[in-house]
Amino acid sequence: MPTYIKLKDGVAAWAEDAFTTVADEEKLPRGDVIISLERFKTEGDHLLVEGRSLGVRLEAGEAVEDLVYDLPRLSVIALVFPKFKDGRNYSSARLLRDRYGFKGEIRAVGEVLREQAGHMVRCGVDAFEPYDGSTPEQWQAAAHRYRHVYQRDSDARVPAFVERAQ
Amino acid sequence: MKALTANRLIDGEVVFWRKGEWIERFADAELFDDPAVAEAAEAHGKNQPTVVVDVYLIDLVDADGIPTPVSYRERLRALGPTNPRQHGKQAEGGKVIAALAQASGAARSTGRVNLIKR
Amino acid sequence: MYRYDEIDKQFLADRTAEFRGQVERRLINEITEEQFKPIRLMNGLYLQLHAYMLRIAIPYGSLRSRQLRMLAEIARTHDKGYGHFTTRTNMQFHWIKLREAPDIIDKLATVDMHSIQTSGNCIRNTTADPHAGATAEELDDPRVWCEAVRQWSSVHPEFSFLPRKFKIAIVASLKDRAAVRIHDIGLYMRRGRNGDLGFEVAVGGGLGRTPYVAPTIRQFIPAARLFSYLEAILRVYNRYGRRDNSFKARIKILVASLGVEEFARQVEAEWEKIGEGSDLPDTELARIRGAFTPLPFETLPASSSAFEEARLADPAFARFVRNNVHPHKQPGYAIVDVSLKAIGETPGDCSAEQMDLIADLAERYSLDDVRVTHEQNLVLPHVRLDDVPTVHAALAAAGLATPNVNLISDIIACPGLDYCALANARAIPIAQHIAERFADQDRAELIGELKIKISGCINACGHHHVGHIGILGVDKKGEEFYQLTLGGSGAEDAEVGKILGPALPENRVTDAIEQLVEVYLRERQDGERFLDTYRRTGMAPFKEAVYADVH
Repeated sequence: MPTYIKLKDGVAAWAEDAFTTVADEEKLPRGDVIISLERFKTEGDHLLVEGRSLGVRLEAGEAVEDLVYDLPRLSVIALVFPKFKDGRNYSSARLLRDRYGFKGEIRAVGEVLREQAGHMVRCGVDAFEPYDGSTPEQWQAAAHRYRHVYQRDSDARVPAFVERAQ
Repeated sequence: MKALTANRLIDGEVVFWRKGEWIERFADAELFDDPAVAEAAEAHGKNQPTVVVDVYLIDLVDADGIPTPVSYRERLRALGPTNPRQHGKQAEGGKVIAALAQASGAARSTGRVNLIKR
Repeated sequence: MYRYDEIDKQFLADRTAEFRGQVERRLINEITEEQFKPIRLMNGLYLQLHAYMLRIAIPYGSLRSRQLRMLAEIARTHDKGYGHFTTRTNMQFHWIKLREAPDIIDKLATVDMHSIQTSGNCIRNTTADPHAGATAEELDDPRVWCEAVRQWSSVHPEFSFLPRKFKIAIVASLKDRAAVRIHDIGLYMRRGRNGDLGFEVAVGGGLGRTPYVAPTIRQFIPAARLFSYLEAILRVYNRYGRRDNSFKARIKILVASLGVEEFARQVEAEWEKIGEGSDLPDTELARIRGAFTPLPFETLPASSSAFEEARLADPAFARFVRNNVHPHKQPGYAIVDVSLKAIGETPGDCSAEQMDLIADLAERYSLDDVRVTHEQNLVLPHVRLDDVPTVHAALAAAGLATPNVNLISDIIACPGLDYCALANARAIPIAQHIAERFADQDRAELIGELKIKISGCINACGHHHVGHIGILGVDKKGEEFYQLTLGGSGAEDAEVGKILGPALPENRVTDAIEQLVEVYLRERQDGERFLDTYRRTGMAPFKEAVYADVH
């Protein structure tokens, strides 16, 4: 089974991936799968009835709002970062956590580099398929590079302005 | 006629290809008349990502017996800035520097076009 | 002025350590150039024509003496003895080596400075009125808000990978000395109906290939709600700004394509959902405010005999006062502009020795405060009138007392093709030639306020679109040509200039400026600036003068 990096109680560790990521043109394998938003719209209900756990892959530019009513039924949202430079899905992660209260796994896929670890964790992403071969130790270090942060965000970190007031 | 140029990774210095090495003076650059040889050198250069970045071929013309980059931009890279003319490679002086400084007109480098992206 | 506390210092230390590691990983090719480039850009490090260029943030253009001295030290040790102040009120060093960049960044950190977010598709250095805290015209000190924005935007988790760069400017007086309307977000401090402080919010200004003056999307946002409103604007942009074409990726294109009303509606809808949880608490704003006020001004008479006597005795000083000295809110003080436009020199360039001198003057005579203007000059904002003659003499001895602020030789120019990898033509030599032609200060004063702005490419770092006369370098079949625009303004009467006619070859530009000035002097009516005359007469007489011999 392939592995990926998962945060457990805020600590990055290898985890076995129970989900199979399936492209639109591929036949569905057995078990738990991550499928595209398009495919989820047509086949999602049927797959859930079969008792599978489902994940939806959200491309950069696809709206989280399209999934709002399905979130309680989903186990994973895989956010695609097609290029290091493409930051649309940071907003998606924040909205999923803060506005829509998604409790499942938010996984970063695509060109996912260690440089983004801190941003992703802060926006509520808790699982990662690193593109640069990072280990969990490297990921953990990168995600906690900064002892202080200046903004309130989806993670539990205390922003500088609160630290100062304490 | 062409030459191969790049910027050195570690300090950004403008460098030119000469028989497998990157050197700093345009006057010492290897000149390519055979496109196949030029492209082979370019491929070789592009395969040195810890040595140089932005590797590309530039077009040269003969200016009174001295091969000179066709484009103004490339002449500036071989010389240094013009305000005033004291910094960069031109500080060293010499025949080729003088020829480059006096050359005028001509078209932009063909090689660079693909790299001008923001 | 704001001083870093332990939190700010540790944040910066973590960042410099990260950057050092990234450079090391690049040098052993653990990350590719393609991956490294956005990283180095986020740390202000560009690869230019001759070397790397490091752009150092000068938050809201505010410097303390020891910071300026550190810039001088870096100029001497790591560059060729000079630096270049930019239209973003930053400093650029043009001869930097990648292997030394981590050391330079460590040195900067010792004086609470950095190069974070001076490039890349993130929120850049916020600019402010260079007379902030010194002018009597302002409602509040905009630097308080700029500093809060600086912190909020530093390594923002959500808004660090935007479609394109993002620039914010804040002013608090009616006079706009920060070119607010050409910013992605321009904030004007206003008072609400009940006297509360707040901001008028303009979004979607910018120059470049498609210049726009920012339209106002909201007349008044209470100051306490600023940060949730900024978050709303940035989120709409981050999600819906174009990413398929970098020339169409700035927020101005999104605002223009949606229309101002629809864009504003989307921002308002998002803002309502965000709520107050994203606003900065009053305690933090009060803490930041405490760093800027009150200043230890002396109680002085409104006039100074030393100042008046020098003005009568020394025509050069009198000229300097007319052009470079401005009224201060505190009786007995003045705001002194330091021109970095000595005739024939590079606009915005400053030698290490000059930086050291200005640092000394600031420490002795200006409450340890130096400002950088977007017009590439410096300001000593708090000089006692009694001291202005001494300051003037010291500046003059170092070539820093050119009495030309806002005059024809006070030209903005980007580095252009002499340094910049993106440029199509040179900008600096054009500025040098024009300044030399108009070196006669009597004539320059006779011409009066005339803002010439020169860019070496369509990216418009030299703000040519908003010059009273704008000059854009273009490449015509390998030759440097220059396209002139008239009638632009980056001030409170912001407007994008219109093209005068076909681009001119390099050797025609200065003559054309001369012809434009002649038309203005002929046509002007009482008290009109060049810009006013142009607006009254329109393009025709100017065009005729410059292109007459073509027919």
